[in-house]
Amino acid sequence: MARPASSWGWSPIGRRRWALVLLWVGHGAWVLSGPKAGGSWAAFTSAAARPVESLASAWRGWRLHRAERARDLAQAQTDLAAVRQRVQALETERMADAPRLADGESAVQMLGLKAKVPLRTEAARVLLAPVGVAFGGLILEGGKDRGFQQDQGVIAPEGVVGRLWSVGTTQSEVLPADAPNASIGVMLARSRATGVLQGLGSNRGEIRYLNNQEVVQPGEAVYTSGLDRVFPRGLLVGYVTEAKPGDLELKVTVALAAPLRRLPSVLILPLPTPEEAQAPLVPQAKAGGAS
Amino acid sequence: MKRALHLRPPGQRALAAGVCVLGLVLLAPWTGPQALLHAALVLGFALDPGSALLTAVWAAAGGWALEGTLRIYPHLGGTAWADMTIALAARWLLVEWPVDSLKGWLGRQAVLALAWILLVHLAVRIAAGPHLWGTAWVWVLLGLPAWGWLTWRWQRPGGR
Repeated sequence: MARPASSWGWSPIGRRRWALVLLWVGHGAWVLSGPKAGGSWAAFTSAAARPVESLASAWRGWRLHRAERARDLAQAQTDLAAVRQRVQALETERMADAPRLADGESAVQMLGLKAKVPLRTEAARVLLAPVGVAFGGLILEGGKDRGFQQDQGVIAPEGVVGRLWSVGTTQSEVLPADAPNASIGVMLARSRATGVLQGLGSNRGEIRYLNNQEVVQPGEAVYTSGLDRVFPRGLLVGYVTEAKPGDLELKVTVALAAPLRRLPSVLILPLPTPEEAQAPLVPQAKAGGAS
Repeated sequence: MKRALHLRPPGQRALAAGVCVLGLVLLAPWTGPQALLHAALVLGFALDPGSALLTAVWAAAGGWALEGTLRIYPHLGGTAWADMTIALAARWLLVEWPVDSLKGWLGRQAVLALAWILLVHLAVRIAAGPHLWGTAWVWVLLGLPAWGWLTWRWQRPGGR
């Protein structure tokens, strides 16, 4: 009679039995190890879990940081939108106030100029300043109704503008200083040499009747001489841009200081007072002279 | 001569034991019903007449699940070891001396339950130190008719 295979050998039944024994004995040993082993086990598991916990903590911190940044970004975007809206409102307000501001600045400049010029001047608003029109005149608000007369000088804070060419009932036309038929008595700042400025157009003019001997340099200021009896002496006219000797006289080109086509308002000078100096006596013919 | 056992299919046993383990986790807030289910698992659904290893595994799983949900012991494993021991003993009795009546089954379950309660307390005391008795053992003993009848029906397929 053959002996049955051992139930504890390397057979399916044996392996299951050994597994059962290991399971039961292992559990028993674990139970018998007591709470101290549990503490060691807990310490071991804590140490093993520390990297994962660190990663989880870092991950949580990163998410919190990201959430905080998202909140900050949302707040910043809200603030930015509010600031943009405010800037837009201010811009609109500024654009609405720009004409009044320009008028105010112009008025301040006019007041300053008026205080500088020791004459009784009248301010006038420029109604029309043709741009690109050759030698086009300025149209001023005010005419005979304000007492304007022909040939009154017109100046601006920047410099001489021209003279009144025609005076209507409520409006006046200005002959600008750069018109070819305009002439202004001028003098050079350094040499005090006097001449007559004639217009060349495009805010330029040429000084006539200057001797070739005069020393004139570009950039030199040009003032009114007062000899034309329209403008008082010493008003700025412009600056020399070019000076070269000609056949008979020095050719000096001047850039006018006042922007003739961009003036919001001007000052009207009074008419010159008549000269008090007596005219030279004319010798009378003797009675009964040569016949 | 030993009477032939009517074995349930392994899939049914695994399913029942798995549901019991899951139930132990889900019933964690209610320790009384959890104890009833625990007793039904260890002394009934975990018992596999065809495999002592599976019996021990399912009983240990129940013990670990219970202690894991309790979270009061500093050193786990005592309940699992006691469950395994009692379940192996119950399986051995089931295989060697099967009972034919409900009364006999309930009586045997009562004795096994009593031994199980004492063994669990002892094992947990060894593993985790002194601890309170609690009321789970009362639930187990008072609920014996319920879980005992349930395990009787489970171990006797067909109502025989």
